[in-house]
Amino acid sequence: MLKLVVCIKQVPLVSELPWDSRTGTLRRELAEGMINPACKHALEAALQLKQKHGGEIAVFTMGPPMAEEVLHEAQAMGTDRGILLTDRLMAGADTSITAFTLAKAILKECPDFDLVLCGCYTSDSETAQVGPQLVEELDVPGAANVHHIELIGKTLRMKRISDNFIETLEMELPGLVTITTQEFQPRYVPLKGLQDAFEGSDITRIGADDLGLDMGKLGTTASPTKILNVYSPTAKKKNIVLKGSAKKVVEELFDRFEDKIGGAIRKDLKVEKKYNE
Amino acid sequence: MDFNPCMKHKLIRKTVRMFAEAELGPIAYEIDRDARLPMEVIEKMRPLNYFGLQAPKIYGGAEIDSISYAITIEELSRVCAAVGLCVSVHNSVGLYPIERFGTEAQKKQFIPKLASGEYIGAFCLTEANAGSDAGGVETSAVRMGNHFIINGTKIFVTNGGICDLALIFAVTDLKNPRESASVFIVEKNTPGFSVGEIEDLCGMRANPVSSLFLEDCRVPENHLLGKVGGGLRIGLVALDTGRIGVAAQALGIAQAAFEASVKYSKERQQFNRPISSFQTIQNYLADMATEIDAARLLVYRACDLKDSGQPFGTEAAMAKLYCGSMASRVTNLAVQIHGGYGYSKEYDVERYFRDAKVTEIYEGTSEVQRMVISRAVLTKLT
Repeated sequence: MLKLVVCIKQVPLVSELPWDSRTGTLRRELAEGMINPACKHALEAALQLKQKHGGEIAVFTMGPPMAEEVLHEAQAMGTDRGILLTDRLMAGADTSITAFTLAKAILKECPDFDLVLCGCYTSDSETAQVGPQLVEELDVPGAANVHHIELIGKTLRMKRISDNFIETLEMELPGLVTITTQEFQPRYVPLKGLQDAFEGSDITRIGADDLGLDMGKLGTTASPTKILNVYSPTAKKKNIVLKGSAKKVVEELFDRFEDKIGGAIRKDLKVEKKYNE
Repeated sequence: MDFNPCMKHKLIRKTVRMFAEAELGPIAYEIDRDARLPMEVIEKMRPLNYFGLQAPKIYGGAEIDSISYAITIEELSRVCAAVGLCVSVHNSVGLYPIERFGTEAQKKQFIPKLASGEYIGAFCLTEANAGSDAGGVETSAVRMGNHFIINGTKIFVTNGGICDLALIFAVTDLKNPRESASVFIVEKNTPGFSVGEIEDLCGMRANPVSSLFLEDCRVPENHLLGKVGGGLRIGLVALDTGRIGVAAQALGIAQAAFEASVKYSKERQQFNRPISSFQTIQNYLADMATEIDAARLLVYRACDLKDSGQPFGTEAAMAKLYCGSMASRVTNLAVQIHGGYGYSKEYDVERYFRDAKVTEIYEGTSEVQRMVISRAVLTKLT
């Protein structure tokens, strides 16, 4: 039976994030949470694999007790079990310690997994590191930023956009992929699914003791990354007024902003200009 | 007593809000203008259990509790009240009476179709000479062998234009309408059943409210819901539940109007400062916030009583009375805060203002709610 693992994260729903200016971390207890958008695409990818090949999906999340909510939501979408890693000792972990802790939990709860799926990055910190770091911790092959997956026996064929071309990759399972938000549009959550998820949900809570880990290996204490300062950057914009005839203004605009305009319309204007000349 | 929403209720709110904002938000203006029920969205709502919210799971429903039900209607109505109305009426007075009063065979035959949304339900009491006074019903049902022949005209039927199944109030003895009032389950394809013109209404325009005509409509006797003469009781029980739905609609509309007002008052500059800095506008916003909160507590209390099996009719009437009038006051203030723009269709508050009014009228006018409440008060207190 195909054993799928999806790692998801609860991120704040609001765009105005309540920061704790003293510690430089997010005050998650003040913000309403939701499943990180890319994680939801990873869930959808797993659900589609399960629909096609059968199997079971275990969902892992690490966070405060209220993060349990995202496991219920995942179950309402069709996953089978949820594992919540929650412990004060785990709080404030950076990406490497998060990956380390998640890997310990995956190996404990789901040691014979075939494929781990993660979102490509989270909307609250955007490091895109936990997935690749999990690859190292689990010691399996992996690919990041994938938008298409196809399971052929024990081989996973994947596609991803890299600069201006599409790569097709293959790896032998077990392995790990991080999924982008391009494809796998997440399904809506059915209300009966939500009711069922709260009536008879299969959720395991795991703390530091369950993983046999102590303070020295977890959370802020173990994390090599220290946040020294958090601040909102102030945007400095300077207006430029171009004057003269329309032709002259347009030409000057292109001269000054050729790269940016070209980037926006996905064309190399320098090449086009040469070609036209 | 716990005033904090539980994790399930929070998640249901987020789930419905996300769906409504994504699917109904972009078209709410246009479907109101064109008086069009968005069947493409209804189609998406079917597998998500919006048409079997509280129906038992064995019949394909979601079997959610009443607070979850109210939150669902509230969140749909916050974005598009006409669709909130469609779902509320279908669930509360279309489906629920069959679940409560139907025979096993009727439940098996109709609830799966209704709960899956294959059938959209309607509830038909109002006639030219009957509404608040259910005893004035003139639609007749005459027994002929093992059938009833139904004749009459129903008006202002919510979901009328698209319903697949209607609960029809009819009397079997015109001389004794109260004692002989009965409810019949009538399917759209029954010969003699037809839909009239879609009403051109002030608000809730995307809902196809219409008349329904019954001309020698032959309905098998096993489509009688409950007993002959049991109609008034079915109507009262259905409306008790329906009132929670209407209260939740009003609450959703008011919430939308309030949010729009807060946003606009911070953006709109007069005398070189946002109008939210003026005390008069602040007072309006404070009143709106307070009234919405009070209304929400009334709705959830009625739901909680219902789920714990206690009498909730009076409390549902209070919730409906208060939410309806509150929504009219709040949307009125929202238009006022928006000034000239609020009177323009360019801003959503104009639609909220029109949508809110009817929550004081249908499924028991505010006057009828006061009758229900005062009756309870006068009986209880000496």
